[in-house]
Amino acid sequence: MRRTPVYVVCSPRPAVGKTLIARVLAEFLLLKNGAVSAFDINLREPSLLNYLPRFTETAQIGDTFGQMALMDRLIVNDGVPKVIDLGFHAFDDFFKVVAEIGLMKEAERRGIDPIVMFIPDRDRASMVAWQMLRTTFPNAALVPVENEHVLWGPLPQGFERVRPFRIAALPGFLKSIIGRLNFSFTHYLRTNRDQSSELHQWVRGNYTRFRELELNLILHKL
Amino acid sequence: MAKPAVIVVGADKGGVGKTTVSRTVLDYFNANNIPTRAFDTEAPRGTLMRFHPDITEIVDVTSTSDQMKIFDTLNTSGTSVTVIDVRAGLLSPTLASLRDIGFLDAAKSGQITFAVFHILGPSIASLDEIAETANFMDGARYFLVKNFINNTSFFEWDQATYNSYFRRIKNATELTIPKLNEMAYEQVEVASVPFLKFVANKGPKDEAANYSFVLRGYVRHWLGNVWGEFDRIKLTEIVGSKDSKATPRAPTSEI
Repeated sequence: MRRTPVYVVCSPRPAVGKTLIARVLAEFLLLKNGAVSAFDINLREPSLLNYLPRFTETAQIGDTFGQMALMDRLIVNDGVPKVIDLGFHAFDDFFKVVAEIGLMKEAERRGIDPIVMFIPDRDRASMVAWQMLRTTFPNAALVPVENEHVLWGPLPQGFERVRPFRIAALPGFLKSIIGRLNFSFTHYLRTNRDQSSELHQWVRGNYTRFRELELNLILHKL
Repeated sequence: MAKPAVIVVGADKGGVGKTTVSRTVLDYFNANNIPTRAFDTEAPRGTLMRFHPDITEIVDVTSTSDQMKIFDTLNTSGTSVTVIDVRAGLLSPTLASLRDIGFLDAAKSGQITFAVFHILGPSIASLDEIAETANFMDGARYFLVKNFINNTSFFEWDQATYNSYFRRIKNATELTIPKLNEMAYEQVEVASVPFLKFVANKGPKDEAANYSFVLRGYVRHWLGNVWGEFDRIKLTEIVGSKDSKATPRAPTSEI
């Protein structure tokens, strides 16, 4: 039976690279599946909507209308992968609603695979939020993201015994290039002729790791 | 055969959620496979009847013929539990009628199980109702229900005053009905189905429906909490269900 992945890229902390990772992931899924739906739940941060306006819509979870508009779409097994860029302001409310309405259990029943990509920093809030997720959703796919831009070292205490998804750091001048609103990772891969360039390697490496992550999740389900 | 059980849900004040509580009680017994019938005293068009038409009859509980319809059939109806949703202002007169026909004496002598769910409103008048109702509660299980479903804040109550009323009544038990998301509540109203069917995404005739997953989730979570309160007071044991030791079923998306 066809299953639809729903990625939630999140952190309880600001400026840890949520939107960047959501962008790379959305472009990877678009390249691989030919379709993707992205949802931007950022109130005050740089927004996924600015980078991928064709595939992204804004969403809210502060009121019941917004919750229905978002969650009722996420629970549809339509074969279109979904990516949620969850701003840190909405982190607690989002997972509170998910727990209360039983989204994880219903997702399993309907052939939806929720994957929570959690980006920690060294603040205690990250550790507390990670523990909350593991306690509240013990059977969910929770993937910590080791973003070298943020951590500059291994994952902090509390993340032992979990295999992280690694994002390598880029030099400042390359960060400024990928930060441009009209920059597309897939387009860069297709048009750049120097496959040995650092940015090319970085984008390819991330796409490869996303593919491995998908494969691992499928194998885990089997 | 288990002795018949009668549960009266009422209040002298209107709009405090009597029918909502009755609906949760009927859903609870349904989920626990306890055969139940209901009487709605809100003539001519009962609200409870709208949600549970298969098991509900509309009656005038103050009329002798309808009293006969309810109480003379307790042993012969084929159901072990009778739920009576008493409309606003009729709780005290209904209890007086039950006393007059000897029903309360039968409950006192243990021939019948009798329980009253008294839904409390936010005003001080509700506390006076407790004192009035308590006079009839000898032999009955008396439950004082604080209903927060419509965001009642019970602002007029002084806790000490409430406690003084509460202490006067032997064996009174307090129940709390938590708040339900307003939109979820409205949607169940519009759908006119029992809470259980709404959670299971079913229409009035068990046909597939298309209710919002979010709203169904809110209702499931809330109904689980309400049933948790019924479990706490051991409602199935009170009504003498054979399966009272079985674990009550939690609300689920599948029925």
